[in-house]
Amino acid sequence: MNRIIDISLAQLFLALLFILIAQISSFIYHLGLNRDITIGTIRTFAQLFLMGYVLTFILKSSNLWLVLLVFFVMVLSAMFIVKGRVREKQIPYFIPTFLTMLISYFATALFVSGVIVGTAPWWDPRYFLPAGGMVIGNSMSALAIALERLFRDLREQRELVEMKLALGANYREASDELFRKAVSAGMIPSINAMMGVGLVFIPGMMSGQILAGTDPLIAIRYQIVVMLMLVGSTAVTSVVVMLIVRRRCFGSGEEVLLR
Amino acid sequence: MNPLLEIRNLSFSYEGSKSLVFEALDLSVREGEFLLVKGPSGSGKSTLLRLICRLNPPLGGTILFQGSDITAIAPARLRRSLCYVAQIPQMIDASVEENLLLPFSFAANSSKSPPSREELRAMLRKFYLEEVEPAQSAMKLSVGQKQRLAIMRALLQDPLLLLLDEPTSALDQESAAMVFSIMERLNIEEGKTLITVTHADYKPVKKRPLNYMLDNRRLNLLP
Repeated sequence: MNRIIDISLAQLFLALLFILIAQISSFIYHLGLNRDITIGTIRTFAQLFLMGYVLTFILKSSNLWLVLLVFFVMVLSAMFIVKGRVREKQIPYFIPTFLTMLISYFATALFVSGVIVGTAPWWDPRYFLPAGGMVIGNSMSALAIALERLFRDLREQRELVEMKLALGANYREASDELFRKAVSAGMIPSINAMMGVGLVFIPGMMSGQILAGTDPLIAIRYQIVVMLMLVGSTAVTSVVVMLIVRRRCFGSGEEVLLR
Repeated sequence: MNPLLEIRNLSFSYEGSKSLVFEALDLSVREGEFLLVKGPSGSGKSTLLRLICRLNPPLGGTILFQGSDITAIAPARLRRSLCYVAQIPQMIDASVEENLLLPFSFAANSSKSPPSREELRAMLRKFYLEEVEPAQSAMKLSVGQKQRLAIMRALLQDPLLLLLDEPTSALDQESAAMVFSIMERLNIEEGKTLITVTHADYKPVKKRPLNYMLDNRRLNLLP
């Protein structure tokens, strides 16, 4: 049961058949996705191989600063992905979002590896980095959805927001509904994942542990911690980022800055 | 008597534009006055009202309300005292009553008690909206009805100054006449101070308003 079957390079390349099918579909139906599929495949190989070597090196070296540096780079990369998806030019949201992500994800990864799992040291890269990675990956999508929604809704409903401001609402009251809708739009995928987990799909981490020979009853405990961690960190990060960014959408006279 | 509103040396240009919309614009409004501001399209009539209620920041100059610089007054408190009604009336997707009582849900108005349904009905009659039921959806009203409702909603806060942006632009002659009649009545009977920006030809019935022309980046009082 504990034996892990290695995947040879030849077997790995055999998996490219799936990409071939996707490319053929895109070609036949003119989906215009061939270039993106190619780049995505190359990046998947390159990034994961790089990550594999980096993790091997970090696990061997057992250096706190190296672990923190990798964590920092992971959050920074996530921030650039969020920026690429949101594409907002007018409101400066990069630095507050990045700082909130950094603090919130660090606290979550620290709590999960150091307190719940109880690793010693707390930054044991075998736990700290995967926990951080899952939090970052999940919450990053929620943030991108929430930010994009807030900026779009505020632009589209600017006149309605200004009507409320003109009637004596402060900026929080005037944008209350947009704020709530944006945060919940970001949160819904994490909550849906909690509904479907174990019924509709077996999550990646749990599958990985089972493939690696862990008792499924231990694997599910880890998975439960992960699911709860994802919802909690996504909620906190989204709310804090949205509170800061929403303020930045209004000027000193509480006027709408987005045009 | 000190002016209720005083604008000194106001300048403004739109973001990214080098040409000025206003340059050294001055205006003084006393309590109880009724101003009509006219001017060609794009001359900045609506912008002037938006600057007064801080929905846009000016490039330079000072706007004083009751002697205080408007930038020194908390925005929500300022906008409760000088109410702006936009050209396109905005309603939330709710009943007429909920729309009218919306300002009372804001912290700046928490000390005021909202009117009863009977008082609302009486007010609706004054605004030629007797056929409108407080419980009906505001979204189903005509533009003319929404426009009157928007003015009524602003008035429920008892503002010192009412800023009306093209209140008759989307209305037929009959509805426009109703809105002008309401404005005149508010000014004469209730002593409200009004600044109305309009394109429309208005024939005053009881009192002639002060007519200003916004031209060449400044306001000029017409004889």
